[in-house]
Amino acid sequence: MTAGVASILRYRAPRSRSDATAWLGMILFLGSWTMLFAALFAAYGVLRLRSPQWPPPDVPRLPILLPGANTLAMVASSVALQRALRFARRGRLPAVLPAISAAFVLGWIFLAGQVALWFNLWRAGLRPDGGPFPSVFYGLTVFHGLHVLVGLFGLGWLVTRAAKASFGPTRHVGLRLWCGYWHFVGVIWVLLYFTLFVL
Amino acid sequence: MHTIESEDLQPIHPEPTSFWLKYVFSRDHKVIAKQFLWAGLLFLFVGGTLAMMIRWQWAFPGKPVPVLGSVLLRDQGGAIGPATYMTVFTMHGLIMIFFAITPILIGAFGNYCIPLMIGARDMAFPTLNLLSFWTFVISLVLVICSFFGQLGAAGAGWTTYPPLSTNIGTPGSGQTFMVAAIFVTGVSTIMGGINYVTTVIRHRAPGMTYMRMPLTVWGLWLTAVLNVLFVPVLGSAALLLFLDRVFGTQFFIAGAAAVRGGGDPILFQHLFWIFGHPEVYILILPAWGIVGDILSFFSRKPANWYRGSVYAMCVVTILSAVVYGHHMFMTGMNPLLGQGFMLLTLIISVPAEILFLNWLRTMWQGSIRLHPPMLFAIGMVFVFGLGGLTGLYLGATATDIYLHDTMFVVGHFHLTMAAASFMGSLAAIYFWFPKMFGRRMSEPLGKIHFWWSAVFITLVFTGQLISGYAGQNRRLYNPYEYTFLKHLLPLNRWTSYSAFILMAGQLVFVWNFIHSLVAGARAEMNPWQVGTLEWSIASPPPHHNYDVIPTVLRGPHELADPLVREKLGRDWIGQDEPLLEQTPGTSAPAAAAGRG
Amino acid sequence: MRLLPLLTAPLEGHGWGMPHDASLDGWRIDDLINETSLFVILLFVIMVAWMLWACFRHGERHQARFDHGSSPGSIAVALGIAGAIFFVVDGHLFINSVLVWKHVFGNFAWAETQPGAVRIEINAHQWVWAVRYSGPDGKFGTRDDIITLNDVTVPQGVPVIFQVASTDVLHGFNIPNMRVKMDAVPGMINRVWFVAKETGQFDIGCAQHCGANHYKMRGVLTVLPREEWERWAAVASANSAVAYDPEDNDAHWAWDWEKHARL
Repeated sequence: MTAGVASILRYRAPRSRSDATAWLGMILFLGSWTMLFAALFAAYGVLRLRSPQWPPPDVPRLPILLPGANTLAMVASSVALQRALRFARRGRLPAVLPAISAAFVLGWIFLAGQVALWFNLWRAGLRPDGGPFPSVFYGLTVFHGLHVLVGLFGLGWLVTRAAKASFGPTRHVGLRLWCGYWHFVGVIWVLLYFTLFVL
Repeated sequence: MHTIESEDLQPIHPEPTSFWLKYVFSRDHKVIAKQFLWAGLLFLFVGGTLAMMIRWQWAFPGKPVPVLGSVLLRDQGGAIGPATYMTVFTMHGLIMIFFAITPILIGAFGNYCIPLMIGARDMAFPTLNLLSFWTFVISLVLVICSFFGQLGAAGAGWTTYPPLSTNIGTPGSGQTFMVAAIFVTGVSTIMGGINYVTTVIRHRAPGMTYMRMPLTVWGLWLTAVLNVLFVPVLGSAALLLFLDRVFGTQFFIAGAAAVRGGGDPILFQHLFWIFGHPEVYILILPAWGIVGDILSFFSRKPANWYRGSVYAMCVVTILSAVVYGHHMFMTGMNPLLGQGFMLLTLIISVPAEILFLNWLRTMWQGSIRLHPPMLFAIGMVFVFGLGGLTGLYLGATATDIYLHDTMFVVGHFHLTMAAASFMGSLAAIYFWFPKMFGRRMSEPLGKIHFWWSAVFITLVFTGQLISGYAGQNRRLYNPYEYTFLKHLLPLNRWTSYSAFILMAGQLVFVWNFIHSLVAGARAEMNPWQVGTLEWSIASPPPHHNYDVIPTVLRGPHELADPLVREKLGRDWIGQDEPLLEQTPGTSAPAAAAGRG
Repeated sequence: MRLLPLLTAPLEGHGWGMPHDASLDGWRIDDLINETSLFVILLFVIMVAWMLWACFRHGERHQARFDHGSSPGSIAVALGIAGAIFFVVDGHLFINSVLVWKHVFGNFAWAETQPGAVRIEINAHQWVWAVRYSGPDGKFGTRDDIITLNDVTVPQGVPVIFQVASTDVLHGFNIPNMRVKMDAVPGMINRVWFVAKETGQFDIGCAQHCGANHYKMRGVLTVLPREEWERWAAVASANSAVAYDPEDNDAHWAWDWEKHARL
């Protein structure tokens, strides 16, 4: 009976101890960064709650579609990267490079979309010194954008490593760590999208 | 959870040979520790000099400062003016907290002690360790840049409250540089924190259970946990303030300068103190741990109720973030909220009491040897006791009405934070100097340094408490402008004299330290005759620390055991030292392993 | 209880004692401080005596006892002592603080409803206290408001209630001789009140770092007997009405008292 169950469960190569150590470090790092963004979200919440009207009546409206498209790009990018990780773990090595490359390209699409968003709003007259609303908008989205940029450097590095076929079932800790970072950045964006643009 | 780490997973790397890789861009935790120590001691001196300037101004208001005045304050005729005074007390606070105590206790002793005391060859992430130090150096550069700001260095107080800390209150690059410096040093601290937490969890030697770790490691580990969780909140406050200053955003600006309603200055205070209160525990937990161990070692008996001390430190860690509102009692908060914070603040005194009782009972019925590390450890108990008790008044909403923003607060936190960490740092330096540098410091000079420091520390900070009780407010350029404070000039003057003498006495330490570094007697492997793992290898240790990763058999404070005295003829036994002979044919050493 | 300060601290108004308390309710704070000091001094003395005894009698020649201190009895003693200190010392502080805030310092409902209570708006600036009284019409922002700088004149024996605000940076409205203190925060209006027991002149200081001249932000509180204050107020209000300049917008910094009284 157990043998049958075991054969249904996929084989996973045992994780090395140094990989587990690296992953613990990443968890702590993400915990730390979660506190940073939680504080920023809390600041946003406080400023929004004490404001009589949000958004204020005389500022340009925030669009929903462009950032919505960006959100989809970000989510797709995370999915692609996670698939790359799964391919590496399962030994489907030829599929790793295309998946990482897809994540990389989608990430750049996201960033380009953000830049377009900022450019449009800037031209429409939304400036950081226009009060708490644009302060929150630019402050949070640009800070997030910087984290995306860092992630893209990481993804670029992953592309070069994947091109040299460096990832495999027992050699993928770098990919796993950047996956964690990239998903984190993606989740933050989803939360930002809903709280800044939708709500 | 795994506690066994085999040899293969901490391979012995050859030591680098090039000067740059060995001493400058080193990944060896012992070298990085020393780098943090030099940086911290240097900025401790800078911070101390700034303190002397504050004391001068209160003793001799408006008079030119001797020596320093002619060098630093030429355009003001050698005297400190009101605007300069603001930058002096601001930079004093920021430098002492972030660029003196943090690098010494956490950067230096965290790095040095953690791997050695848990039986590891290095930190979990040596490259991250290197990056952490050099990021810290970048923040030091930003601090120095702040001093050269056109409109002076940062001047809004170490607490940096807006709107004063925004462009409205403190324009100029000096303040901006310091806000950036705080953010960058925060990044460095988080890197270090991640390293320390991971190392303790993953790299403990076989047999080194959590409950066999030295209290020093517990203190440093809990500090690192707090750093990882709460320094980012400071980062958020610094980031938003930076945006307000540089990009004109309105997170914290209110009043006349507000645009479309503006931001909330009290928001900054919340973010700052959610970090700020854990920060005071971050600064003292290492000292608590170190003192817990040293009191045991030099009383030659086990630390009293080790588990209680560990639990107490953990409870303090957990509660540290929810008491922060006692810094904000006077901001107009709802009295009910104030009561909540007051209750939690009073509760956090209970674990501290447990720690105290354990320290006192460790000493009782011991065989106390008053070497310099022990003197400074006892000194820490003394100043922290006095300081901690004065915290009671400040944690209660009614008594805080009168005492808030007076020198009583300043006396309280100098005793608990400055004096206690100072004592703890010096206990650590005198204790681990032989291990770090392979030489002995002079005992007589160490004792002179202790008594000189202890007496004058008590005088200076009690002087602050008294002037605060009499109503002297903080951060006043000239307190004697007020009728009700005019009579405090003699008190302040005597406090200042004590401070000058205290500072002068540190020269004894500087001389002892430097002289011992170059010409001190060679230190043997275990000069203090104690059982923690670092004393089982050479002084200084080889690059890879342990030739063989030790197997730990007992706790760190197994002193005065009659069985040990009978078998080994001494009152201490190493954590990894087998006690009973192995019977041929069996594997593990016998019963002694279970104790502790 | 004058004995209490003698045991724990210099008498108020003397030497290094607290400044003279000229308020009706300040003694509650003073007593709480001094009572706590009794405990604090006692505990500190015990701690120091214990350590000295240990250093002298349990020194190098004494045989150390092999005791981990982790027996149930030992732990019970530790927890018992910690608990006792907590419930007695901390408990005393906590309960009295709550009562004092509820019945006195936070009790605006009582203060506002006392006949003859005086209401004053304080607008803190860098580095001056702008003070406004409502004048005979009882409303703020009208012609008969008395406006002064750094000068707060109040009657003896009735509640004086302040609403404090700031337009630039944080300030701290502080009257040590009346044992009151409250931050002035831009964007907020905070409240504080007291009853002056004695006449005289007292310092008003700033209790929150507000820039280079923070140390010079001194005001004067003058407490007059009631009738004298009434006369003063009538004259000052009449003068204000004469000096009133409808064009001077900067001087019209008032706010609606009732909206912020939060009763």
